[in-house]
Amino acid sequence: MPETRADNVLMQKVRDGDLAKMAVLFERHHRALFRYFLRLTGNREFSEDLVQDVYFRMMKYRHTYRDGHPFTSWMYQVARNAHLDGVQKRKGETPLFEAGHEGSMHEPASAEPDPSEILRRRQDLGLLRRALAAMPVEKREVLVLSRFQNLKYEQIADILACDAGTVKVRVYRAIKALSQIFFELAGEKAS
Amino acid sequence: MTCDQVKEHIADYLAGALSQTEAEELDEHFAQCAACKQETAALSETWEMLGLLEQERLTVQPSAQLRSRFYESLEAYRQGLESPAPGPVRRRFFDWGWKGWAWSAALLIGGLGAGQWMGQRDRSRADLASLQDEVHHMRQLVTLSLLEQQSASERLRGVDYSSRVDQSDTEVLSALLHAVNHDSSVNVRLAAVDALRKFAGNPAVKGSLDQSLVKQDSPMVQLALIDFIVDERDKAALPSLAALERSPTADKNVKEKALWGLSQLQ
Repeated sequence: MPETRADNVLMQKVRDGDLAKMAVLFERHHRALFRYFLRLTGNREFSEDLVQDVYFRMMKYRHTYRDGHPFTSWMYQVARNAHLDGVQKRKGETPLFEAGHEGSMHEPASAEPDPSEILRRRQDLGLLRRALAAMPVEKREVLVLSRFQNLKYEQIADILACDAGTVKVRVYRAIKALSQIFFELAGEKAS
Repeated sequence: MTCDQVKEHIADYLAGALSQTEAEELDEHFAQCAACKQETAALSETWEMLGLLEQERLTVQPSAQLRSRFYESLEAYRQGLESPAPGPVRRRFFDWGWKGWAWSAALLIGGLGAGQWMGQRDRSRADLASLQDEVHHMRQLVTLSLLEQQSASERLRGVDYSSRVDQSDTEVLSALLHAVNHDSSVNVRLAAVDALRKFAGNPAVKGSLDQSLVKQDSPMVQLALIDFIVDERDKAALPSLAALERSPTADKNVKEKALWGLSQLQ
């Protein structure tokens, strides 16, 4: 993919001292990183801090970038570490996924003409958000990477330092766990 | 295909990544196993709903502040790499340049190695200790010489080279502390903070971190110093952290970090 190759070339230039190229990588990827962290943490401000931290780390540790390594995988490896460290440092502070965050997102435009169907779908999406937030971060992470960041299982395997088969098993377990939580929440709501 | 094999293929099924053969085998299994068919249908529904959440997510944008913060730190980094070292050279003794000293060290170490290889096995322990001292001295000279260079990238090499020097070396420690406190390059200062961790056992390091924290004008270096202070449980730095946290001029992130540092050490 030309875009990917261009990212790799840019990062090699950054590593070799042309730091200005990091601005291009920022413009290309900071939104995707922000949404990745937002799905993991549920907190806008914290997510922006983490994005800032990722670019800071990529500049600081640019010499560790190897020729030929897919830039996106390397970036998400850095992002995972930034998230783990960030959560560790926040221990004892305001819990993530605080109330009110869900309302900050907008519902997607629906082509569904039936108002009752729109309402039901909106309720379902609200429950799914809650179910996702209730999952352990390890399970949520693999769904965020595969479903939201649109990464292939091979890329995720590279990021998580495991093989693609393991990623597929984790995706299966994660989507199953999410479904169970979702149906439990739906059952509570119905009862 | 067995029920276990179906589970192995569900991730590919959801992502639409099954081969034609795998898809057909899966369909054959579904025709015989209602449980697998039902489970896969339920998981597919959840997967599709996640896709709707994805659409919603695309409308959420980061604030403009994120961009301005990034460009500020990028500029700080670039300035750090490009700006010259401050003030006159402190040690005229090192005017020879780091390359000269590096060659000297390499030749000396090579010569010593060759001498040993030639079979001088009866060299006394005292001689060996003396040789080790010489090697250490050369490493020290190379490190100190590099740290004196005008080019920030060569001073960075000096910081990196300091890892080869014994942690009891007070002269190198002093040069690293000087780099943390006075180097014009933020990058060199950050690297020096990292290098100082090797010397963390030395009481002189703990005693100087809080002073460095107050002297810094770079938020990034202050953040790195606070991490170091917390990792070392350096409670002598509590007053400096408190002052920083109250300072009206300190960077917002640094103030938050200082507050975090206080909570970790108190």
